[in-house]
Amino acid sequence: MARVMENPDVSPVKQTAEKLIDNIEKVIVGKSEAIKLVLVALLCEGHLFIEDVPGIGKTMLAKATASSLGCSFKRIQFTPDLLPSDVTGIYYFNQKTSEFEFRPGPIMANIVLADEINRATPRTQSCLLECMQERQVTVDVTTTPLPRPFLVIATQNPVELEGTFPLPEAQLDRFLLKVRLGYPSEDEEEAILQRFQQENPLDNLTSVVEASELLELQKLCRQVYVEESVRNYIVTITQATRSHQGIKLGASPRASLSLYLASQSLAAIQGRNYVIPDDVKYLVTPVLAHRLVAKVETKLRGQSAESILEEIAFTTPVPVERAT
Amino acid sequence: MKLNWRQGTFYATTIGMEGCWLYALLVMLNNQVTDGRLSVFGLLLIYPLAFGLNGLLLWLGWHRVYRDIINVLACGIAILLILKAQLFSGLALSDTTWLLALPRAIANIFYAFAPELLILVSGAVLWWLGRRLSRIRVGFANSVSEFQFGLAILLIVFFIVSLLEVQLANSVLITLAFFLSALLGISIAHAQEGTSWLTGLYQGHWAGLLLVSISLILILGLLISSVITPDFLQLILAALKWVWGLIMKAVAFLISLLPEPSPPEALPSEALPAPAPAEEPDWSKFFTLPEAVRSGLRLGWTIMVIGFMLVFLWRVSSQIFGWLRRRLTTAGAEVEPLPGAFRADLLSLLTRLLSRLLGLRRLLHRQRKPELPEITSIRQIYRQLLHWAAARGWPRAVFQTPNEYLYILEEALPDSGEALRSVTKHYVSARYGLSSPSADELHQLKQSWHQVKQNRPKRPRSEAQP
Repeated sequence: MARVMENPDVSPVKQTAEKLIDNIEKVIVGKSEAIKLVLVALLCEGHLFIEDVPGIGKTMLAKATASSLGCSFKRIQFTPDLLPSDVTGIYYFNQKTSEFEFRPGPIMANIVLADEINRATPRTQSCLLECMQERQVTVDVTTTPLPRPFLVIATQNPVELEGTFPLPEAQLDRFLLKVRLGYPSEDEEEAILQRFQQENPLDNLTSVVEASELLELQKLCRQVYVEESVRNYIVTITQATRSHQGIKLGASPRASLSLYLASQSLAAIQGRNYVIPDDVKYLVTPVLAHRLVAKVETKLRGQSAESILEEIAFTTPVPVERAT
Repeated sequence: MKLNWRQGTFYATTIGMEGCWLYALLVMLNNQVTDGRLSVFGLLLIYPLAFGLNGLLLWLGWHRVYRDIINVLACGIAILLILKAQLFSGLALSDTTWLLALPRAIANIFYAFAPELLILVSGAVLWWLGRRLSRIRVGFANSVSEFQFGLAILLIVFFIVSLLEVQLANSVLITLAFFLSALLGISIAHAQEGTSWLTGLYQGHWAGLLLVSISLILILGLLISSVITPDFLQLILAALKWVWGLIMKAVAFLISLLPEPSPPEALPSEALPAPAPAEEPDWSKFFTLPEAVRSGLRLGWTIMVIGFMLVFLWRVSSQIFGWLRRRLTTAGAEVEPLPGAFRADLLSLLTRLLSRLLGLRRLLHRQRKPELPEITSIRQIYRQLLHWAAARGWPRAVFQTPNEYLYILEEALPDSGEALRSVTKHYVSARYGLSSPSADELHQLKQSWHQVKQNRPKRPRSEAQP
């Protein structure tokens, strides 16, 4: 096909994505959709929120992703006694030099795993707000930029809520995607047992993409073409969440921007240099569900943000030709 | 032109329904505007003529532009012929006096509504209705819609006739014929969609059942007509008029309660200086609109009010029928209360109007980028595909993306899977990626589309709803 618009060649994105998926699948069995979403977040430099019951492989997925990238990786186990300075770093008095020196916290890494994020107090959770949005950290009066790429992968257990602090909306809004893994099927579970019989495959996992390469791919994804009507489609869906009767708090403009960027990345992963409505539709729930606050009566009716988003996606007209 | 007898009956019943309310409306207008000078049946001839001609044009498969041109010409000729036959039968064809009567009547539209204008307007409307009928799809929904609309128009006509205290001949006969056509059309359409008991065990006795149904309807109609006499109808209409008068009196009373602007206190005549002889400027002249503009505004206002009334009646009646349908089909299930449905319907109507207005504004302000002819061709092919598939019972739902719709089409046309995939792939690429195909690709695409058209769907359209 002769191209009318000079759109970029996104084949490097597709090739790298395939390499990453193969590498992560050496550890994670049968969760290709979840892995694809993780890659979308990586290519958007967006943060990832993994929520599921214990033992599903949330931390394993986060660690496998980090190991597949040649980036610095830090893990923070969020506990109720964790302090903001334990995350961001602290100025301490060096008696040898008689000066205050900055000791960076674990946030100073390319990939940060915030394990069980809802176990920390809101005070500690809030210290991530600046880091996640502005990609910088302020300690005392000094602001330090964070290394690029910077990605927070947070995990949360949705059932064990005693002694936990639910994440505020402002925090949730900063996560690009929420991923659920779900239980494996019978065959997948058998494959897990076989794979982990001798040793943990995570120990032998090597990186397949370097940080600089990832940054280049991120730039490439931003050049993916989004046609005007598809852009309108994204806006219409976001607007619909704000006017829906069952929703107390709809999606923010940051949410529509996230949906836009995530659609570009998904198109690039699939080797397309333009976004189609299928990309948007596929990402509506992972991108928007965690940002919406459903009304009490909606919850009492047994509906959730996910079901409302499904309803919106199945009522919003897709930009297609009309029959003559 | 392949028409089975059920389709033929559907068209006949629709013509019957529309013919009834058109007849009533035209008789009323004829009595009011021309004192009954025109022959209503002569005017009504345009309707079947337009239907027949457009059916023929569709069968011939001519391009839409040619069909439009032929329609405009044929409509004009038909109107002129009727004008000549009804109002100027004494004049020779070569005499141009009768040809000038129409422009003269149009020029004097704000001063008098001439019989020529009635022929022109009614002829255009009848032609449009006949053309519309030729393109209408045989179906239950269309039959019900025709019934609802016709009923609303008939009620309005009867109401106006009563207000004007004009005699409408054969009103009972019109009503009976209308209901007979409507019930017959609805039952046939219902049976054809495969959801009626008539398609099951009793299919073989269809003709007998039809005759029995008609007989029952006629008997019921006669019984009703013996009970509901014209006097009884007059009584109901008089009651309605009385209620209307009461409302108007109440409004007049409320207006009378408003305080009138009090005149300034008059000063003693001695204190007043002698009035100056200068002429007062007549400001009222400045604000007076020309008669033509006022007539135009009046006409526009009347059309708007009538339009709103029609929309209101249409929406209310469709809502009632929808509610009744749900009530009848959901035995024992909880159905939402009607007042809620009315409110929801009104809100939905207002929202739709608002969105249409906003959409129109967007459309006016949008600057479209020029598109390559290859892309335009692909989009046109896809539009044709959508139209073709919809006509065979596989319409695309508004929320379906082209790829989602492809799955449905592949199920319906398993033999054309490859061709459908090719058309969809090229369309998606052109529509969202602005990619233009090469000449070979476009040629191949056209061949794929022809291949799709030649295949037959796997399942009948009654079972084919996605």
